Amino acid sequence: MTEWGITLNLSILTSQVVLVIIYHKIGTSMPWLCEQLKILSTIFFYLIQAVHWTIAISVLAYLIALFLGLVFGVARICSNRAIQWIAGAYINVLRGIPLLVLIFFFYFGLGKFINLDRFVAGVLAVGVCYGAYMAEIFRSGIEAIDYGQHEAAMSLGMTRWQTLRHIILPQSFRIVVPPCANEFIACLKDSSLVSIIGLRELTRAGREHASETFLDFHTWVVVGAIYLVMTLSLTRLVHYLEKRAAVHGYGASHDVR
Amino acid sequence: MEQATMFVELKEVACRFGSVEALNGVTLAVEKGEVVVIIGPSGSGKSTLLRCLNALEEIHEGEMNIDDIKIDRKQRDIHRVRLEVGMVFQQFNLFPHLSVLNNINLAQRVVRKRSRAEATRISKELLCKVGLEDKIDAYPAQLSGGQKQRVAIARALAMNPKVMLFDEVTSALDPEMIGEVLDVMKQLAHEGMTMLVVTHEMGFAREMADRVMFLDKGKILEIGPPEQILVNPQNHRTREFLAKVL
Repeated sequence: MTEWGITLNLSILTSQVVLVIIYHKIGTSMPWLCEQLKILSTIFFYLIQAVHWTIAISVLAYLIALFLGLVFGVARICSNRAIQWIAGAYINVLRGIPLLVLIFFFYFGLGKFINLDRFVAGVLAVGVCYGAYMAEIFRSGIEAIDYGQHEAAMSLGMTRWQTLRHIILPQSFRIVVPPCANEFIACLKDSSLVSIIGLRELTRAGREHASETFLDFHTWVVVGAIYLVMTLSLTRLVHYLEKRAAVHGYGASHDVR
Repeated sequence: MEQATMFVELKEVACRFGSVEALNGVTLAVEKGEVVVIIGPSGSGKSTLLRCLNALEEIHEGEMNIDDIKIDRKQRDIHRVRLEVGMVFQQFNLFPHLSVLNNINLAQRVVRKRSRAEATRISKELLCKVGLEDKIDAYPAQLSGGQKQRVAIARALAMNPKVMLFDEVTSALDPEMIGEVLDVMKQLAHEGMTMLVVTHEMGFAREMADRVMFLDKGKILEIGPPEQILVNPQNHRTREFLAKVL
């Protein structure tokens, strides 16, 4: 963490130096633009110090969501009625409650019994909420596989679990990459809701900065831009992963941009 | 015939889908090494019969024996049954995300618990047998229909089944590819494999079948040597059917 922090600080410092040089160059000819850029960059370097919380919340929450989604998605199509019902209940309940309410519940509601840290409560709330969405994605991914695949695997003597593990899930994963990426982008954006319980992530930092400096317009432009850069980079990353997972002549091989 | 020589045995087997009687009191005994060709109009229960033998459908009445394994309503250990029975499907059902080699290797490794080297050796042997040794690293999408079906046959054979079931394996193929698949099946029959074949290829039935069975509305209407069933059928339904397909 410290090493990473030093690298980050160094790169911020370097880019600041570069920017100062640029201001100097254009400052004489376009003073207004120069002034605006200076304000925006000051805000940017201020807000970027909170962005690691946004990243931490969304990544951890998403990992929880992936795990829960896989477990409940598979449980939903399990032949055991009780397990099926539990999975259905989880999905329908958590999908049906606003994330904001879940965050309040985890932090204030459960806070009456166990003292959850803001970060932990936020991550759990986002995680279990997105787990419900992910479960439905995984279920549809599994159900999208032709039943002949199950039959072929079973006719070779494979158990249900082996069939799922070796035949169905590997094919489903390739199908669910785009919707899963969608959910991660949504998750990253919804991590801003955690600001409401006082965790100083990007949105919270933006609010504080705006109310301190009254530079609301500039601040929210920068906040939005930072989110946008993160989501767009993710889109590129997913595109790359999809290409890597592609098998010749099978699945999503179209070059989507 | 003596009990001991009977390899596949069905006694009064019934299978229903809702109110539809897919199989209705089917009794059949197949000897080791025998090739039985099953013909009949669509919806007559041909595929259901094979699927019951592979425990892909549950039987509602009667019982089946494959070698010494008994299948009835109480049979829980269906994986053991499926191990002994190889099945090839009309739609190939190759695993599209795996290479040809891994298609054949996978079940050998996870079900038969063979080592990678052992499984690969067997897979290569079988690919040679079906004439596709050069396609070992190809993916299913890169193969023609006939090649896919031959890989599917190799995949089923890799499990050392005692009986092979062929469910209209040439029906989804272009005409020029049917021959290559039938050749592999003929070779298998010559090697003494016990086979139950659902097909519309009357040429194959005439040439290879020890017995031909005509199935209609879930019942065996007629069974006997191909020259009798195909040339001189006794039942009028068989005659009608053959008049349409021949």
